[in-house]
Amino acid sequence: MSTDSKSGGRIPIENGIEQTLRKVLKESLKSDLIDALLLPVKVPSGDSYAWILMQDPALVEEEASPMAAVMPVQGAKALKSLTRKGNGSLRVAAMMRPCEVRGTIELSKLNQINLDNVTLISYDCPGALPLSDMSDAPQDTEEAFMGLLSERNFESTAVKPVCQFCTEFSMGAADVHIGMADPDTSQLLLISGSEKGTAFLSATGLKVDEEPSAWEKQTDSIQKKRIQQMDKAFQTIQPMVEGFDNLADTFSNCIGCHNCQSACPICYCRQCYSDSKESSLESAYYLDKAEKRGGISLPHDRLMFHVGRLSHMSLSCVSCGQCTDACPVSIPVAKVFSYVAAQTQQAFEYKAGKTAGEAIPLKEYKEDELKKIHEMTKSAESQESPHE
Amino acid sequence: MGKTFNPKITAFLCKWCSYTGADLAGTSRLQYPTAIIPIKVMCSSRVDPVFLIRAFLKGADGVLIGGCHPGDCHYESGNYHTRRRFAILQSIFDSLNLEKDRLRLSWISASEGPKFARVCNEFTDKIQKMGPNPTRKNMFI
Repeated sequence: MSTDSKSGGRIPIENGIEQTLRKVLKESLKSDLIDALLLPVKVPSGDSYAWILMQDPALVEEEASPMAAVMPVQGAKALKSLTRKGNGSLRVAAMMRPCEVRGTIELSKLNQINLDNVTLISYDCPGALPLSDMSDAPQDTEEAFMGLLSERNFESTAVKPVCQFCTEFSMGAADVHIGMADPDTSQLLLISGSEKGTAFLSATGLKVDEEPSAWEKQTDSIQKKRIQQMDKAFQTIQPMVEGFDNLADTFSNCIGCHNCQSACPICYCRQCYSDSKESSLESAYYLDKAEKRGGISLPHDRLMFHVGRLSHMSLSCVSCGQCTDACPVSIPVAKVFSYVAAQTQQAFEYKAGKTAGEAIPLKEYKEDELKKIHEMTKSAESQESPHE
Repeated sequence: MGKTFNPKITAFLCKWCSYTGADLAGTSRLQYPTAIIPIKVMCSSRVDPVFLIRAFLKGADGVLIGGCHPGDCHYESGNYHTRRRFAILQSIFDSLNLEKDRLRLSWISASEGPKFARVCNEFTDKIQKMGPNPTRKNMFI
């Protein structure tokens, strides 16, 4: 759990940010606190990253890409595949983006991830680059991302659209956080967010005694800019989805591949209603509809899939943008979902993945709440019916 | 088109309260519109928001959920969960500007036959005024 007064420590950056970070991770793996690391590693073809559960300290220094340029698989999904059936005795430290940490927290609330023996490490994220950039030009993309990190550039327009207006780019519920936004570029600032985090940092031999106030100031100012970006972005998203016809137009080129759902960390159901046989109907139904509407598209229910998914996961949406990365026909799925999710979460004063302690609103209820709906259920109660 | 608009309203009714209430309305010979198409569910919380979205996108002019009064749920808390889910769906319809007035939630107990008839009459009147569901014309969904 993050506390109000955070404490941190610094190590000098030698041979670049990544190399310095690899050393820290290696130290943690050599200590008797951590048994394995979960982190991105570049695949042999060089155009993507895979999540690797790493136990050999030597490999960390050679192979690890702790801050990956793109996000091929959302980290929460990787951690889910490791701990869904409990995590055994293995003590793991996972290196993730803040949105991956939020996804992890949501999945742990949904009993899909067990965080008992997991230490989460995050960093101030400049945004992930679009996945297609990496497959088109791996080297340029990687260099571009390293450039963003070393320049502490949090205003790039090259990153994914949802990353450009991400307001939760900094420390959340992670145990250890790397203050990339810190003005001091000669040292790496490591901040502890929990007891686990403090133990992790002391295991790597770091003194944690500093109040990172300069970093806090910097992240606050970046966040203010991001909030403005978000308002701007939402203004452009609104006309895309407002009203039935605009919404239908936005999703009209959907090919029904359901990639957005497979890539989504929150959609964890093993079978979705949209893929089940309950969702398909007799041909007579479609013929009847075609007659009434003049024609209908097949396969049917493409819009139902998207709005249905919104109803199921928008409370937990962490706006990671994986859905847009996965869309082969470039529908701005993430923008739409982020826009709608911001409002559903606000309705319950909930922020997906922000804190581990808060229950998901669908898991609980209060007897006396939601006044407007209460009023709706009250109507027709007191009136005299003309039929009585 | 010259045709009169005959709305269709899908009603998901909880077996323990609202559906029994509908039965009572019938045995009491109370009139309610033929627009209502009742579907019996074991609990109002069995109604996944997707059912409402599906009904809506398939052209239902209105969708009604009927459940037990708060505190009376046969399964103790189902209707409270229904209320939260309904709030989410309303919020989504709001964000997408999708005529959320076509969705309605009512608590109707097994003894409230007259209330069932009133809710149906009132809701049908409202839908009649709103006109047909815009999704009825779109062939690309």
